[in-house]
Amino acid sequence: MYGGDEVSAIVIDLGSHTCKAGYAGEDAPKAVFPSVVGAIDQMDIDGTGDADGNSGASADLQNNAKNNDSDNTKGKCKLYVGSQSLGYRRDHMEVLSPLKNGVVVDWNIVDNIWDHAFRECLLVDPKERPMLLAEQCSNTQEQRERAAELMFEKYNVPALFLAKNAVLTSFASGRATSLVVDSGGGSTTVVPVLDGYVLQKAVTTSPIGGEFLTDCLMKSLEGKGITIRPRYSFKKKEIRPGNLQTVDLDFPHTTESYKLYSQRVIATDIKECVCRTPDSPYDESAYSNIPMTPYELPDGQIIEVGSDRFKIPDILFNPSLVQTIPGMESFAEIAPSIRGLPKMIIESINKCDVDIRRELFSTILLTGGTASMQQLKERIEKDLLEESPQAARVKVFASGNVTERRFSVWIGGSILASLGSFQQMWFSKSEYEEQGASYIQRKCP
Amino acid sequence: MDAKDILGLPKNSFPPLEKKSRPPKESQRKPDGISREVYALTGGLAPLMPAIEASQLKKKPPPLEKVTWQWLPFTSSARKDNLHLYHWVRVVNGVPPTGDYSFAKYNKSVDVIKYTDEEYDKYLTDPVVYQVVTVGSRLTSITRIGRNEQHDAFLFLLLLLASSLGRDNFLCGALALLFREMWTKEETDQLFDLCERFDLRFVVIADRFPSSRTVEELKDRYYSVSRAILIARAPSSGDVAAHALVKEPYNVSQEMERKRALSMVLSQTRQQERRDEEVLIEAKRIAESRIPPKVAEEPQLVSSNAGAEATERAIPGETVSPSNAQLSSMVAPTPLPDNASTLASLRMLRVYLRTYALEQMVQAANASAGLRTIKRVEQTLQDLGVNLKPRVPTKAVCAEHLELRREILTWLNLQKQVQYKEAEGSSFRDGSYGETPGTPKLLHRGGDQDRTFVPDSINFGAERVGKKDQKRKAPGAPSAHKRPRKLKASDLYASQERIQGTEKASCWDMHVYKLGIGIPDIFESLGRDVEIGQDCKNQLSEPHRTPFVDYSALQNPCQKKNKYLLETEEPRVE
Repeated sequence: MYGGDEVSAIVIDLGSHTCKAGYAGEDAPKAVFPSVVGAIDQMDIDGTGDADGNSGASADLQNNAKNNDSDNTKGKCKLYVGSQSLGYRRDHMEVLSPLKNGVVVDWNIVDNIWDHAFRECLLVDPKERPMLLAEQCSNTQEQRERAAELMFEKYNVPALFLAKNAVLTSFASGRATSLVVDSGGGSTTVVPVLDGYVLQKAVTTSPIGGEFLTDCLMKSLEGKGITIRPRYSFKKKEIRPGNLQTVDLDFPHTTESYKLYSQRVIATDIKECVCRTPDSPYDESAYSNIPMTPYELPDGQIIEVGSDRFKIPDILFNPSLVQTIPGMESFAEIAPSIRGLPKMIIESINKCDVDIRRELFSTILLTGGTASMQQLKERIEKDLLEESPQAARVKVFASGNVTERRFSVWIGGSILASLGSFQQMWFSKSEYEEQGASYIQRKCP
Repeated sequence: MDAKDILGLPKNSFPPLEKKSRPPKESQRKPDGISREVYALTGGLAPLMPAIEASQLKKKPPPLEKVTWQWLPFTSSARKDNLHLYHWVRVVNGVPPTGDYSFAKYNKSVDVIKYTDEEYDKYLTDPVVYQVVTVGSRLTSITRIGRNEQHDAFLFLLLLLASSLGRDNFLCGALALLFREMWTKEETDQLFDLCERFDLRFVVIADRFPSSRTVEELKDRYYSVSRAILIARAPSSGDVAAHALVKEPYNVSQEMERKRALSMVLSQTRQQERRDEEVLIEAKRIAESRIPPKVAEEPQLVSSNAGAEATERAIPGETVSPSNAQLSSMVAPTPLPDNASTLASLRMLRVYLRTYALEQMVQAANASAGLRTIKRVEQTLQDLGVNLKPRVPTKAVCAEHLELRREILTWLNLQKQVQYKEAEGSSFRDGSYGETPGTPKLLHRGGDQDRTFVPDSINFGAERVGKKDQKRKAPGAPSAHKRPRKLKASDLYASQERIQGTEKASCWDMHVYKLGIGIPDIFESLGRDVEIGQDCKNQLSEPHRTPFVDYSALQNPCQKKNKYLLETEEPRVE
């Protein structure tokens, strides 16, 4: 590599839906697992939980890690991290997320997640490896200092760097200046990046992300009378050779959050398989006669998905559609203030300085898990052409490869950490000891 | 082969091609040193100039040195601490490479000027001094002594208002604005710190700056400070005069204007652009439909330097008394359509001399006539004792002058038509053109009718004049008569179509009467197409004399003059 210098750094991207971790210099993360944990409060049960079971079905995430149960007992909570441990149903296991609105609220969980990534997935000793962490653009100073503290104090990393998501995505596509539209699990953000620096004042976010769309889909299906049975709640028995019958299993001690989590997993799969972005704004009447697409649920049920195929993705463009879905009225109060994706893009660009607007219009990067939806790029281009100024040329870039779209933040981090000219920018342990954690603000712009 | 001989091509061009195709094939069949499969990797064909000698591939490179790769720590001079990171190093003969980290040379940054506190106090404070003059207890004037005058007007007004109303909060507001603009030392320090961190990327600096200042303000402050420091530190002013910053200081207002314009350009969405275009096309269509169509004939072109022309013409001696050379407003539009365009062009000049206007009108009127006719008009005027340009160009005089010119023109045109018709008539009757004595009476009558037919005759006359000129060039050929006659019929018909209204039809009758007197046959042939009034027919049936065609006069300039003298028997200057 011409500009590259391998220092064997580790890149971790803790997203709201999945956590990606891997070695810098590679083209995909080695460890991808959900960024939620199962927690069993020790106070509720007697004795320790069964930590040996590993027969839970894996979620349909790309996963080629060796997963063992992580048995971190801290205080009175037992946490289970990793898709394999989460896949196994346990009594009284609550599903918790460390992030709320993209901001870390529970550092203990984050600690556990990192530990799981280092010790179980990647099998590295953090003491020897510089760490590159990807963070949200809206991360506060306090959060960053906390992350630095955790890393340096607990894991004794030699060097650390906190890079913003959008910057890494931009670098992954080889550009220093671009407008990054990141449509991930928890939220959608539009961030302009100029020369590798994020323009903070022009960042626009919206809480509509992949998980939100999944919820909408679930509610919509429930409204149609279809219940999604979580995988643990049934069993298939062979009555006659070749014929299977579904038998319900009952686990009264399963928590609600776990049930929801399992249902979400299935609904996510439905969404990924079936949903498509409509070419024009969604219209009830236009799509009422559309042919239904069949989908087979894990329990053998075959459901027909019709207009929902197009309605759900169109929520990204027209958030007020949410109100038409029964069961989602709670969201309706926040809906008026949220704009659709093209409007967010225009708004973000208009907050920037006039000189760079043209450039931003011509390099719009589409990234994130939800951005892998079919026809999303074309639809965005089409909508933007209507609203954008005549003088600017609009061009949306999205990587063709689904893996690249999902992991573009991680890939950017991998590229950055293996560049020769980056090695002077690490925030080293000695600097942390001399200057304190607040120095990170200066070092990691 | 003979063809080649003829063309001169070399005869033996064919054999060498054959030879060339054979060597590659030979090497295909017989690779030496390399197996055939390896050779096939290159596509089966050997390059003409082999890049690597086949024999070389079997040899190993000479083992001069022992190379291993080791995982070794390194430091970089670009780092201020002594962080040791590890990387793979190519170790030759057990000696690791020395020298700085190879990427440390890319650590470049911008030279941002650093000032000391004393320098700041001496040169760089942002002075906003208001010189306040009070009369009694009231504020009378406030002058600002500062660097940029962006908010001057507004602040001035505010302060005045405050003082006159005696309201403290206004004053406070004004002062608040004042302070917001000022650059404190902390802010300036912050600015310079950010400039160094972000390498003068002002957009990013504006984004990270704690208070909300625009990019132009930041740039302005930075550049002015740098400039002040440069000038202050220089031993003499000549040293830094060549420095870019000293030569061309940063122009805030220009930048702001530019950005404003750019934002206007970029704020128009495509939908709006399309709508704007549609509206503009509609407006253009409506505007065009409103302009009277006759004006389109005038070839008058008045450019924007018509004003200069007006002044030029005013200068060359026009014996005009100052009272009459009034720089007046619009001339009242005359009812004649051929003046409409002239008037329109004159309206473009807000102020012009009447003589200039008169010239334009005359030119407009003359545009429909040929050069000879113009000369005749002018000759007529002179014979009548009228100056070509009125001596005293008041409004009434100019109007009358124009009127006279027009009448003379019409009269001459009609004369020509009469002559033409007479020539036709005589040639038709006699087979040759005869010369019959003129009938001043006829002409006189023609002259009498001039006035009433003025509005209609102009257009009519224009093309007739053209035809007449044509006729003059080839007089007398009988065959020539026939063709023009046919043309004339359609022409007459066409011009009749243009004329609208019943009263004009009666005028048409009179035209016919004037022109067609004594040639009933022609009109019988034309009869179906031409509507001739009853009275006209009666006139035609009367015994009459042939119209006068003074061909001798045409050919003989002296006699021509005589004709004019005859015509000037009825001078009418009104």
